[in-house]
This record gives sequence, C-alpha cells and structure tokens, in this order.
Amino acid sequence: MTLMIDGLRKRFGEVQALDGVSFEVPSGEVFGFLGANGAGKTTTMRIVLGLLRADEGTVTLDGRPAHDLPRRTWGYLPEERGLYLRMPVIDQLVYFATLYGVPRAKARADALGWLARFRIAEYADRRAETLSKGNQQKVQFIATILHDPDVLLMDEPFSGLDPVNVALLKSAFLELRDRGKALLFSTHQLEQAEELCDSVAIVDRGRIVTSGPTRDVKRSTGHQVVRVAVAGDGDGSWLRGLPHVTVTRPGRDYTEVLVDTGANPQIVLQAALARGGDVLRFEVGDPSLEEVFVERVGAVDTTERTLASVEEVRA
Amino acid sequence: MSTLTNVTTIARREYGVRVRTRSFVFGTALLVLGVVAIALLPVIIRALDQLDQTRIAVSADSPEVSATASATLDQLLNPPPPNGSADRQAGYEITVVGGADAARRAVLDGDAGAGLAITRSDSGELDFVLYSNDSSTGRTAILVGQAANAVAIADRLERAGVAPADQATLFAPARFQVAWPDPAKEGPTQDTLTEAGQDLLGFGMTILIFMIIVMYGNWIAMSVVEEKSSRVMEVVLNAATPFQLLAGKVLGVGGVAFTQYGAVVVAGLASLALLDPIGSVILGQDAAALSLPSGLTPGLLVAFGVYGVLGFLMYASLYAAAGSLVSRIEDVSAAVMPMTFLSLGGYFVGIYAATGLLDIGSGWITVLAMIPFFSPFMMLGRIAVGGAVPWEIALSVVLLVLGIGVAVWVAARIYAAGVLLYGQRPGVRTVWRLLREGM
Repeated sequence: MTLMIDGLRKRFGEVQALDGVSFEVPSGEVFGFLGANGAGKTTTMRIVLGLLRADEGTVTLDGRPAHDLPRRTWGYLPEERGLYLRMPVIDQLVYFATLYGVPRAKARADALGWLARFRIAEYADRRAETLSKGNQQKVQFIATILHDPDVLLMDEPFSGLDPVNVALLKSAFLELRDRGKALLFSTHQLEQAEELCDSVAIVDRGRIVTSGPTRDVKRSTGHQVVRVAVAGDGDGSWLRGLPHVTVTRPGRDYTEVLVDTGANPQIVLQAALARGGDVLRFEVGDPSLEEVFVERVGAVDTTERTLASVEEVRA
Repeated sequence: MSTLTNVTTIARREYGVRVRTRSFVFGTALLVLGVVAIALLPVIIRALDQLDQTRIAVSADSPEVSATASATLDQLLNPPPPNGSADRQAGYEITVVGGADAARRAVLDGDAGAGLAITRSDSGELDFVLYSNDSSTGRTAILVGQAANAVAIADRLERAGVAPADQATLFAPARFQVAWPDPAKEGPTQDTLTEAGQDLLGFGMTILIFMIIVMYGNWIAMSVVEEKSSRVMEVVLNAATPFQLLAGKVLGVGGVAFTQYGAVVVAGLASLALLDPIGSVILGQDAAALSLPSGLTPGLLVAFGVYGVLGFLMYASLYAAAGSLVSRIEDVSAAVMPMTFLSLGGYFVGIYAATGLLDIGSGWITVLAMIPFFSPFMMLGRIAVGGAVPWEIALSVVLLVLGIGVAVWVAARIYAAGVLLYGQRPGVRTVWRLLREGM
C-alpha cells in the first residue's frame, strides 16, 4: 500500500500555496514532512484528506483516488489541537470513533486502553479543558488513531510535549509503523525527524526541494561529513590542501570537513596517517537533516521568512 | 460511515450536550412556569377580584329609594356573566346604612370603598353624593353615576304616575341585531371577543416561531464558530462530511428547541384544559364561567407545528452557513444579519397583519405569505382568522419545503468551504465565489 501524491497545485488568491508537490509514502514507513511555516505542509495534508480541493494533481492510495476511500482510512491530527473543551475525555473519544463507524463499546474499551498506555487513564471522565496542553495533545492523538486508520497524517505531533511524552509518542509511532500503517508527520524539530523517519521530504514555498529515503536526502547535498582528530595537531590546517575537502568547523577536539561525494573519505585518513601523528578520531557520516535543510532551503532563499524559520529550527 | 448514522451521531451529541446545561434546564423551567401562569391568568384575576370585593354603603331618606338604589347598583355593578350562567360575580357588595353621614363615615373609617348618600331636595329631585377616595372618573364612580341616573329617572317616572311595573316594559332593551350583509351567511356575525382571541392566537404563535428561529438560529451559528475557533472542526471534518455536520447540528439544536417549546406548549395546553377543574377549586362554583380560547383548533396547532419546524429547518441551515464564515464569536451577529433582516421583516408584517394594523386580506400580504422566508411568520395569522384557503396553505408549505432544499444546498456549500476559512471575514464576493466553486 502506497500513498502517492502527484503534482499538487493550489492557489489561494494571490498566493501559490502549492506548486507541484509530489512524493510517496509506502505503508510501514514513517515519513517526515519538513518545511518552514507557510511552506505548504498543512495545505498538502488537507488536500490529501479531501478537506481542500487541489487545483491540479492527484492523491491516490494503491492507485485508488483518495476521495473514493472510506473516511476511516484516514487519521488526522491537526496542528491546532481541537477538542470539545467542555466534554469529558472519554465521551469525545468515543464520539469521534463512532463517526468513523467504530461500535461504541469497542471505541470505549480501546480508548481506555490508550489512555492507560499514555498514563492519563485517571482523566477519562474529566472535561478536556481541565487537562494540561500536553495531556490534551495525547488525547488528540488517541482520537486520531482510535478508528485504526491505514494512513496517519499528523501536523506537528511533537510540539509542546515534554521528553517523557515525546518518548511515549515515538514508541506509539513505531508500533503503528510495524503494524503496516503509513505515517506522515510534519515537524520543525529535525532531530526528531532524523531519528524516526524512514523517508523525508523538504518543502519550501509550495515546492518539494528534496525527498526520498532519509539517507539519500542527507547525501543529496553532494558531500559527506568527516570528523578527524590527530594528536598534537593544532588547527588542522594541513587539511586545507586536500582536493575535494572543505573545512567547515575547525575545533579543538576535532576538525569537521566536508568531502565531496565521488571522492573517497579515506583520503582524509590517509593524509592524517601520512603526517605520522596518532589518529585519535576518524568518523565518516552524512550531514544532519538540519544541515541539509539549512543548505537547501536557506541557500535557495534568503528572505526574512525563511531565515526566521531556520532560526526556529536551530532553537 | 453512512450519512444517516453520522447525522444521528452528531445530532445526538449536539442535543445531549445542550439539554444537560444548567441554563437550558432553568430556562425551560422558567418558560413553563411563565406559560402556566399566563394560561391560568383568567382564574387568577377572578380569584383576586373576588378577594377584592368593594363595599358600597348606600343611604337614602326613604326605604323605597334605598331599596331601588341598591337593587339598581347591584344590577349595574355586578353584571351577569356573558354566557348567561346563573352564578354572578359579586365584585361589589351593597349595604344600606342609615343616614347620609353614616355613608360618609363608613368610607372614612374604611368600612366601605364608597358611600352613596341619596337625599330628596326641596324641589322633589333626588340628590346623589358619592363619597370616595378614588378618582371621580374611576370605574366605581362611573358605574355608580350610571346607576344614579337610572334611579333618578325611575323616581321621576314614578312621580309622573308611571307604576314601577310598567317601567319594566319601558326600559326593556330594544330588539337590535347585527347581521351579515351576505344573505347566504347564517348565524350571528363574529363577536369581537372571539375575533380578538383568534388574532391573539395567530399573534402569539408567530412570536413563538420567531423566537425559536432567531434564538436557536443564533445558537447554531455560535456553536459553529465555537467549533471553528477551538479547531475541533478539522478533527470532525475528517470523520464526517460538511453536510453531515450541518444536518446533525441543525437537527440536534432543533431537537433542543422543540424540547423546550414542546414543554411550553404541552404545559400551556394542559393548563388550558385543566382550567375548569383548577378554576372550580380556586373559585368554587364560579368556574363554569371560564372557557378555552375559542380559536385554538387542532388544525391551527398542526399548522403551528408544520410552519415552526419547516421554518426552523430553513433558517437554521442558513444560520449555520453564516456561522461557518466567521472565526470569532464577536463576528457572528454581523454574519447572521441577512437572516435577522429577513426574519424580522416577515415577523413584523405578520404581526401587523395579525393585529389588524395591516389588512390581512390584501393581495400583497397574500403573496408575501407564500414566500418561504416569510410564510412561517405570516401564514399562522392568516389561518387563525380564517383568511387562508387550503390551496394557499398547501402551496406555501410546498414552497417552504423547496426553500429548505435550496437553503440546505447553499448552506452545505458555504459551510464546506467556510469552516476552514480563518482570519478576515469574507465579503459578499467571496461568498459568491464559494457558492460557485465550492472549496
């Protein structure tokens, strides 16, 4: 089962919100949808869910148009949390699930199970407004998955959660993934995405800048990151002479350099060994998603909006 | 999930959440109490009347005069009930006291509400003095004045040689009747009291329908905005279609409206039906004088139900659509303005026609009363006074049902697009675009 998003375009008056968005989310995968505010993430999700109509482009699940599928196929966690504040938690969970066709008794039992798992069982009969923001968010997540949807779309699911709850939510993500669900979520927190996502797409101003398996996206920058430290070596200035190598962070503990793809990172090790000192550290890796993001989005566009979002990403 | 199941689920939530609020429970209780009080008003007023018996002390020079005077006063001040029942309502008690000063003193001491002193002057004429702390143009004074006239005339006739027995024929009322100009019609023309009662019925029902539509329409618009501003809308929209949401909301809140008004109507009818038994308990045998409002036929009640429900459905869908266009509670009243104007227009024309300020039989009112936006407010008035022929009623109902279809279609389209519209309040052009293109 694969969710296929192909060539979505959407214009709101003057603003071209989506300008040809295409990507794929296979089932059994966690997919990260990365982008600044206003990049088009929410619009894309709303179109996938059929809440908005695209000007152009198609959304299909295994070749079937998304709007032909029953509503229970989809689970949606909107960015702005929405609960009936004066309704008891368990009542609204059952209500949402019954709208998707889940029998009341099953909805109730499942909801209580999830509440216990998220350590908020004692709030079941409280009104939603009495819960903290973080707990409301967990309730909202349960509402998203209670009808056992095949595809989950979640807008910023981790925002506002403390580390304990982030861990709870992550384990739920992975469990759902292992049960063969397709999970797509948007986030600003790129470390989160890096840790969880099998694939990612970076979107900027309605365009997909890059997408694919996380490792491929990281390598799409055209270089690998090498960290090297040699005993008795002060500033690593010897690295500057090497071909295909750019020093990015000269540091006391180690020096970080970028090696162009195509060149073998081992040339750095060979050069270090050739200098005769003890090599204390040699590490080859891919750039982080944060670096990719800054490079691709930050470089493409230097307006205030994008810079602000990069700040936000770093914060 | 099937549309019907979802609409039911949504309607049930809307209903359940609302009828459990304290404001609903207390509001309904107050309304029921109010309507029972109004229905029992005739009994209450007459019970109070009975408690409030005015005593009139009469004195005269001769026992004959005082006897005639007290009999005349009794006749005029305590008229027999309209339906000719033997029981008389005794609002005034007439007592004969000795001497003009005794009558004055009785009032001064508070033993009597008024004192009438009759003396024969030297010229032979009777002089009447009414001692009273109340206004000289008050009801008592005027009635006593009339009685005084009658007593004086009877006295003059007697002095002129007409025996009291002959006076009865002399004062017998003229044979007078009001007849239909159309000889085909039989029976008496409608008496004003019945007519006023029927006007009042149409009037009252129109007010009820107007209140239901405006109050609960606004309630629906508010609850749409609330769902939008709490963003719960997006969650629900993923599970249910905008149409299901709209329909569920209208039916759920409609159910609340009709629970409340059902309680009021049942309480009102029950107290009207129980008026006789209740009346006889409170008033004793006087109760027979009370009767149900004459124009309250089952047909009128059915019409009230039909126009109330249909009118509500049409207006409520539009109220929901209007609510979907704004994101803040404070913008609701501006968004529902068109509905407010339409319903107010229909309501005022309907009320003016029902109360006779406008001629309810005129052509333009007949036409206006057919239009779906206005018929819920105008047809009841026309039906109540018997001014609407069956085909007019049928046509207006058919048009109203069609109107609901159009309103729901328009509302569903606006709603589908509006509920995800945040920020600036959209203008007429945006609404038109939404209608044409959808989301």
